[in-house]
Amino acid sequence: MSMRKATPILGSKEDIAFREALKLYDAKQYKKALKLVDQNLKKNSNHPESLTLKGCIIYFTGTKTEADLYVRKGLARSPTNHLVNHLAGIYFRNVENYAEAAKWYKAAIDNGSQNKQILRDLSTMQVQIRDYKNLKESRQLYLEEQPGFRANWTASAVAQHLNKNYDGAVSTLSKIEGLIKEHLSESDKVEHSECLLYKNSIISEAGNFGKALSTLEADEPEIKDKLSVLEYKARYLMLLGKLEEASKIYRILLQRNPDNAGYYSLLEVCLDTASKPVEIRLKLFSKLQKFYPRSDPPKFLPLTFVPADHPKFIELAKSYILPQLEKGVPSSFINIKPLYKDKLKLKAIESILLEFYNQKLNDKSVQPTIIVWTKYFLAQHYLYLNDLVTADRYIDEAITHSPTLVELYIIKARILKHKGEFIQASEVMNEGRELDLQDRFINSKATKYYFRANNVDKAIDTISLFTKLEEDAVNGCKDLHLMQASWVLIESAEAYARLYRELEKAKLSNEDADSEGADENEDDEDVDEKIELYKGLALKRFHAVLKLFEIFYNDQLDFHSYCMRRGTPRDYIETIKWEDNLHSTPIYSRVMKGLSKIYLDIYEQQQAAKLKAASAASTSSGSKNKKNKKKKSKAQGKKREELAAKVASEKEDQDPFGTTLLNNVVSNGNGKVLDNLFELFKPLLVEAKDNRFTWELAFELYVRQSKYVLAMQAIKNLNSVYTNYNGDNKKYKQIGDMVLRLKETTKNDPEANVAIVKVVEKGLATAFPDLTKGDEEFMQAYID
Amino acid sequence: MGITIRKATINDIQAMQNANLHNLPENYLLKYYMYHILSWPQASFVATTYDEIVHDEDAPVEDPKGDTSYINKGEKIVGYVLGKMEDDPEAEDKTPHGHITSLSVMRTYRRMGIAEKLMRQALYAMCECFDAQYVSLHVRKSNRAALHLYRDSLQFEVTSNEKSYYQDGEDAYAMKKVLKLDELIPGLMQKAEEVDDLESDLLA
Ligand SMILES: CC(C)(COP(=O)(O)OP(=O)(O)OC[C@H]1O[C@@H](n2cnc3c(N)ncnc32)[C@H](O)[C@@H]1OP(=O)(O)O)[C@@H](O)C(=O)NCCC(=O)NCCS
Repeated sequence: MSMRKATPILGSKEDIAFREALKLYDAKQYKKALKLVDQNLKKNSNHPESLTLKGCIIYFTGTKTEADLYVRKGLARSPTNHLVNHLAGIYFRNVENYAEAAKWYKAAIDNGSQNKQILRDLSTMQVQIRDYKNLKESRQLYLEEQPGFRANWTASAVAQHLNKNYDGAVSTLSKIEGLIKEHLSESDKVEHSECLLYKNSIISEAGNFGKALSTLEADEPEIKDKLSVLEYKARYLMLLGKLEEASKIYRILLQRNPDNAGYYSLLEVCLDTASKPVEIRLKLFSKLQKFYPRSDPPKFLPLTFVPADHPKFIELAKSYILPQLEKGVPSSFINIKPLYKDKLKLKAIESILLEFYNQKLNDKSVQPTIIVWTKYFLAQHYLYLNDLVTADRYIDEAITHSPTLVELYIIKARILKHKGEFIQASEVMNEGRELDLQDRFINSKATKYYFRANNVDKAIDTISLFTKLEEDAVNGCKDLHLMQASWVLIESAEAYARLYRELEKAKLSNEDADSEGADENEDDEDVDEKIELYKGLALKRFHAVLKLFEIFYNDQLDFHSYCMRRGTPRDYIETIKWEDNLHSTPIYSRVMKGLSKIYLDIYEQQQAAKLKAASAASTSSGSKNKKNKKKKSKAQGKKREELAAKVASEKEDQDPFGTTLLNNVVSNGNGKVLDNLFELFKPLLVEAKDNRFTWELAFELYVRQSKYVLAMQAIKNLNSVYTNYNGDNKKYKQIGDMVLRLKETTKNDPEANVAIVKVVEKGLATAFPDLTKGDEEFMQAYID
Repeated sequence: MGITIRKATINDIQAMQNANLHNLPENYLLKYYMYHILSWPQASFVATTYDEIVHDEDAPVEDPKGDTSYINKGEKIVGYVLGKMEDDPEAEDKTPHGHITSLSVMRTYRRMGIAEKLMRQALYAMCECFDAQYVSLHVRKSNRAALHLYRDSLQFEVTSNEKSYYQDGEDAYAMKKVLKLDELIPGLMQKAEEVDDLESDLLA
């Protein structure tokens, strides 16, 4: 916090010392600052500025609770003192409570602070919490204060844009353009170019494509990003129905980037060829292929629209696939795999390959590598068909022939994985890795396969060959956390979850087997300890990914003002949207899938334990258990420490095994387990509405929480996900099952509110009219 | 859809980071990718591929795969180039020039020209949008594939040998290529027998 000249002159001795302390605080000299503040408080324990500043300092030097206490004390003493307000704003920003920070920055201004920089910090907080309405105001005020910087105009326009005030935003941008036109230096030109494009994107977002086009054409000489100019122009022309002109632009775009498949499709739209006979399209593409002989799309796309029984298909497919086999392109199979959805094409390609293979086999002059790559292709082909025996045969032959070709091991391992031979698969992948120790990709694959084989130690040891090792780190685990390697964290979480579930399952069947042997033996305890360990680690790794998402959300903070200065408002707006939908990324759902299983496991076990406890009254075994454990843990102390060093996720990890995390989940009372899970899951309800998983989990949670109306809504939403996708009204068994389950659950819940039960019953009957025919007939309608 | 090369956007950065973590030992926080996109939005490119070409009316809707390389339903990132302009105030050479922060392609998609195409797009964009006079990069001395790509396919030159440039002690070659806009148009680099005149009827 820097003091501006405009700050009122401070009078008393305390105030002078406070000012000194503030300077030290700004210079990050916290110890010295604290000394001065403490002296002040000795004289006047109520000095509000000193109290608040002390909180700010302690944030860096002491504990959060204490810091919070002082800031709140300061605020309580003098809630309308703008210095106190400002400090509180800074404090809450530091603790990442942005709503509270915004509130106090705002108060500082309202209470008469003349420090206009606060407006900038305020607007950063406002956009971070998506308070667009107030953002507009503070950005406008700041612009009036500092109109000499283009950044402030851009910032103001962005605020208007976020409020969907398109005209206002365009007019703000145009105004500064006019003012600055004569004064642009060479170094301003990139920013200028971006701002012109930003203005243009807003005009089109408002739906005014004609104006967007004419403005673009007028501004074009000053825009450096010609790719955007062309893409915008082509799009506008299409939307305005000027297809012929648009097609010319797509041709220019293709010349710039003939590997963008999207341009080919759009060119086809402009030329209206998609509805024309295949011959015409083929002619078009053969021309494009001549122009761009080294690009993939003009060769590949015809294979998508030429039917398998068309006389040309075989020829086209041959000229696409065979050169790749001859050249040894590792992706030859995955490149054509998308065509396999069409069974006839699959068959056609199979016969091409077999013919080619047999012909080459008998040809003595052929390069042997071609045969290897063909076997490699065929192995993947049969793997796709789930004919694992044939796949295995081809890949084994290939490996026998070329035992040093890494690619072959990748496929061999994948085949083994499909057979369920996870351990063997990991060993084969590792053989591949050992053939090319320099390549991180094959290292990553081996790591992943070790995880799949539940061999977490081996996985981490393997990947650690490519991570940074801090001094005294035994492996790369911490570095992987630091470097945000979410794929590793998820794989390891899933492995730990499988491990604890395996043990739980084994334990259950053991208990069933010797149910009369009431003695708790050592082995059982070992098993319990392991279950807890793996469960804790699974939770910990999943939560580590959730933490990454928090970091990713916070990462935007610096960019709210950076992009304005930098002049990159277009991509900034995209970033805001991206952040708003961050949780819709597939990884988040995958984490929630794994995490919810653990939470639900815990919940179900607690429910079962409750029932058990209700029937059996004796509880003495528990304490005996504990005693044993203590004795043991002493003996194992060293081993535990070693283990901790292996699995810790950060330096001085307070909870290396996730034990505390697990205890928190478990001991939070029965209902709370679900509530806590729901909190983590909630973003999906907003950001991933189109995913089945979102509503499946919502249903599971709501049913268990006895929120029956919401559970019903979840079924309806899931049903819409299905029908919106296919545009039909197919009745899926999953939906039928859920409907019946909800119906039964509500009926059998003695504590359910009668009115609610009625609402659900009626609601279900309306949404799923077949229900009136009785359960059996209902389910007959709901088969996949 | 086969492989597509296109400009990278903020929506791609998680999957770019994922590809980087799979392929290279030099890794960066997501914020550094944000920094690239939000400072030089035109300078980075991705290669993506789609699982499906046509919407299958009969199959029930599937959720996107949880694989970290997916950015959308069915679309995944298999390669990327992360580019920037030199912005180090300490840098000796003040002429605007670009730098390749990172380039990699998933192994299963290598050797089909993806890296070369990504690079050509980035070089063109840097030159056009930011007036980059040249572009520089570092490469491990032992990295045969990358050396071949830079030196032979893209005509970079070695400018110096930097001892122990990498964490593990390996040396790097510093390489550079001078950029001239009209010699960089990617679609005209294919030694085609015929060039689109951009006018004549394509359906005739
Ligand atoms: C280096 C890398 C990006 C190349 O990607 P790619 O998509 O396979 O490269 P391309 O297909 O565009 O190949 C470009 C040229 O390099 C050649 N090349 C590619 N891989 C090669 C290899 N392993 N050995 C020799 N030459 C190779 C190609 O034959 C091609 O040459 P050509 O034009 O004469 O035919 C890729 O191997 C990779 O991601 N490696 C790991 C990460 C890495 O090293 N990145 C570079 C850090 S500076």
